[in-house]
Amino acid sequence: MATDLRISNISKIYPGCVANDNVSLQFKSGKIYALLGENGAGKSTLVKILSGVISPDNGEVFLNEKNLKLSSPLDAKKNKIGMVFQHFNLFETLSVFENLSIDATEDNKSLRVRINEILKKYNFSIDLDVPVLNLSAGQKQKVEIIRCLLRSPKVLIMDEPTSVLTEQETEELFISLKKFCDEGILIIYITHKLKEVLSLCDEVAVMRKGKVVSVSQTQNEKVETLASKMVGQKLAKIKKKINTSKNKDEIFKVKHLNFYSDDPFETNLVNLNFSLKKGECLGIAGISGNGQNELFQILSGEIITPDTSIIFRNKEIAKLNPKQRREYLMAFSPEDRISQAAVPELKIYENVALNNFKSSNFFEKGLVNERKIKEHSKKILSDFSVNTDNVELKSQFLSGGNLQKLILGRELITAPELLICYNPTWGLDVGAINYIHETLIKINDEEKSTILISTDTEELLKLSDRIAVIYKGKLSKIMPSVEVTPEKLGILMGGGSID
Amino acid sequence: MSLDISFIGVLIGSIMASSVPLILAASGELITERSGVLNLGVEGMMIIGAISGFALMVITDNLFIAIIGSMLSGVIISLIFGFLTQSLLTNHVATGLALTIFGIGLSAMLGKNFVGIPGKDFPILFSSLRESIPFFGPILFGHSIVLYFAFALPFLTNYFLKKTKLGLVVRAVGDSPVSASNQGINVILVRYCCILYGGGMCGLAGAYLSLIYTPQWIENMTAGRGWIALALVVFATWSPIKVLIGAIIFGGISILQLHMQAIGFRIPVQFLIALPYLMTIIVLVVISRDSRKIKLNTPTSLGRIFYKEK
Repeated sequence: MATDLRISNISKIYPGCVANDNVSLQFKSGKIYALLGENGAGKSTLVKILSGVISPDNGEVFLNEKNLKLSSPLDAKKNKIGMVFQHFNLFETLSVFENLSIDATEDNKSLRVRINEILKKYNFSIDLDVPVLNLSAGQKQKVEIIRCLLRSPKVLIMDEPTSVLTEQETEELFISLKKFCDEGILIIYITHKLKEVLSLCDEVAVMRKGKVVSVSQTQNEKVETLASKMVGQKLAKIKKKINTSKNKDEIFKVKHLNFYSDDPFETNLVNLNFSLKKGECLGIAGISGNGQNELFQILSGEIITPDTSIIFRNKEIAKLNPKQRREYLMAFSPEDRISQAAVPELKIYENVALNNFKSSNFFEKGLVNERKIKEHSKKILSDFSVNTDNVELKSQFLSGGNLQKLILGRELITAPELLICYNPTWGLDVGAINYIHETLIKINDEEKSTILISTDTEELLKLSDRIAVIYKGKLSKIMPSVEVTPEKLGILMGGGSID
Repeated sequence: MSLDISFIGVLIGSIMASSVPLILAASGELITERSGVLNLGVEGMMIIGAISGFALMVITDNLFIAIIGSMLSGVIISLIFGFLTQSLLTNHVATGLALTIFGIGLSAMLGKNFVGIPGKDFPILFSSLRESIPFFGPILFGHSIVLYFAFALPFLTNYFLKKTKLGLVVRAVGDSPVSASNQGINVILVRYCCILYGGGMCGLAGAYLSLIYTPQWIENMTAGRGWIALALVVFATWSPIKVLIGAIIFGGISILQLHMQAIGFRIPVQFLIALPYLMTIIVLVVISRDSRKIKLNTPTSLGRIFYKEK
């Protein structure tokens, strides 16, 4: 039976922010719909309304012309609307089967039979009796999808499903979604990734500042047209001037970097050697989980490895801790902004003070000089166009893009000679990504160096002067980026060889 | 003193009796904590249970009413905690501490007229078997019904949490209230129920003290047992069976060290008094060393305030 979902004049107002402003959309089964927008455009609010988590101030939802009253998640379930949230709604300490059985109405035996049927049909391989916390992100998402499928949904909403997936897992997901679509499930796909819209979806609705600004067929769209609709202005294309001069001073040199761990979740690093010149950007590509975490921690001094030599500005720094390395003018931007780079419960200015214990005059006789820190923080907020000037704001209320800008600003305002960043634009929207890329290029223009560890091939090709690939803890040959193509990187990242 | 076999049997029987209030209170608190609520008011709820049980016994002269009434009073006082933490979103730790202080004060006030009144004999089961079977008789028979219930309770709790749907819901709520709410589970209701159940069990634990163990009312007669019960839950890493083991060790060493004092061991009394606390912690830490299991049993959202998005 065909499904027809209609959203009519939905509005939702939060104090100080119109999350949804008179949103009307129509969806029909047999197609995959994209809901595209930057972070904060109102996509998540809309899907929370559709899944009954929050109720709208105004407006109605119709499923096959029946007016739905969605005042709790149960209502959405009853009306066969399934939802896979961006932040998984799973119980980490319960087993997969317990997670799936918690809202089931049938007995465990027949439930298990039905789950196994689904696993077989869609080629999922998941052990039902392990706790969810042992699963990879991709597997967790599959558990969420199975939970929806068990209720034979008419509508399946996916909220930014690929933000935690590897490329391989993303491909698998797309294959499954197309299968669901062929079986008559209406799919609404929320994302801010333009390429995914073009490769997966049939129709796309673009949201900006709580409003729907365009609805169109994806075949009539290109990355550029969608991007400008999403951001509301034309994005300047940025391109880096490749740094080719060979006669510059070497500033950073790593020799015999080895790392061995007993923890099966960590990757061993095998004899990494590389060096970096002034004003150069060295890109390190790779699929996540190939040793990037460990490499970042060793370079930042969180892990000290024996027998490794790290020369920075003609000094041996391999035995120094992160604080001492910062004093030698290194700066770090870790992958996990919330738990590694900043303390979400602290205010902006407190987070700014965290890595500047030594510098300036933040602390006098063991007391905090709040006025100085606040002045300094205000300068960071304005210099790095963070979307607030309130230094008293708790960092957890900043969006990902603004938090990343704050962190980069905090690191860069000390004028470091070397910045090491790991996935600096992970999960950010186009506008923020552009800004951060510009900033990173500017650093190189000022003769400062950067090491960019990233899983985003496009970003690496755009920003790096030289690129190496890390695979299972081993580093490939370092290549000038002009000689590198996405295909070459892809082969190396998959463990192949190109010579 | 001769350590003959029947004496050991009596000794074990008295150890079991002394661990009953700990088992009851800790099993109740375990369910509360498994739903993600940290109620530090155990001591307060126990002492309220103790005085209301004793007072009802004196007034109605009916032990059944006294026992039921003590549980109800535990439920009522935990309802205050539930209303504050779940409906008014106050901090669990502060509210729980306040509850304990309130309970101790209130019980002292209510108990003024009951000091010095002798208790009543609580009926014991199978008393003839107790005398006729050597060694096993005093261990297995001649106890109050509350003791049998207490020793069954950890196994029932374990079964409830692991095998029943409701137990699964409780664990899910304790793991991630947000996810549970998004799955349509009424988190607040589940947590209220777990809090009230915990209160009921603490009330019963208090009544065991004032009606059965030492049948009389003495001010502050719980003497820190509520805090021990709380510690047991944590050191037993939220496993009901380990709570039982911990309670028996604590009760056992408390009794043994009294005998050691009586015999006149050349060990400082202070050390002997500290011994039960020390040994219980050491044993529970040693038997709960599996970090994977700890992670799986620990209620992730413990003590955190949950409120529903609107």
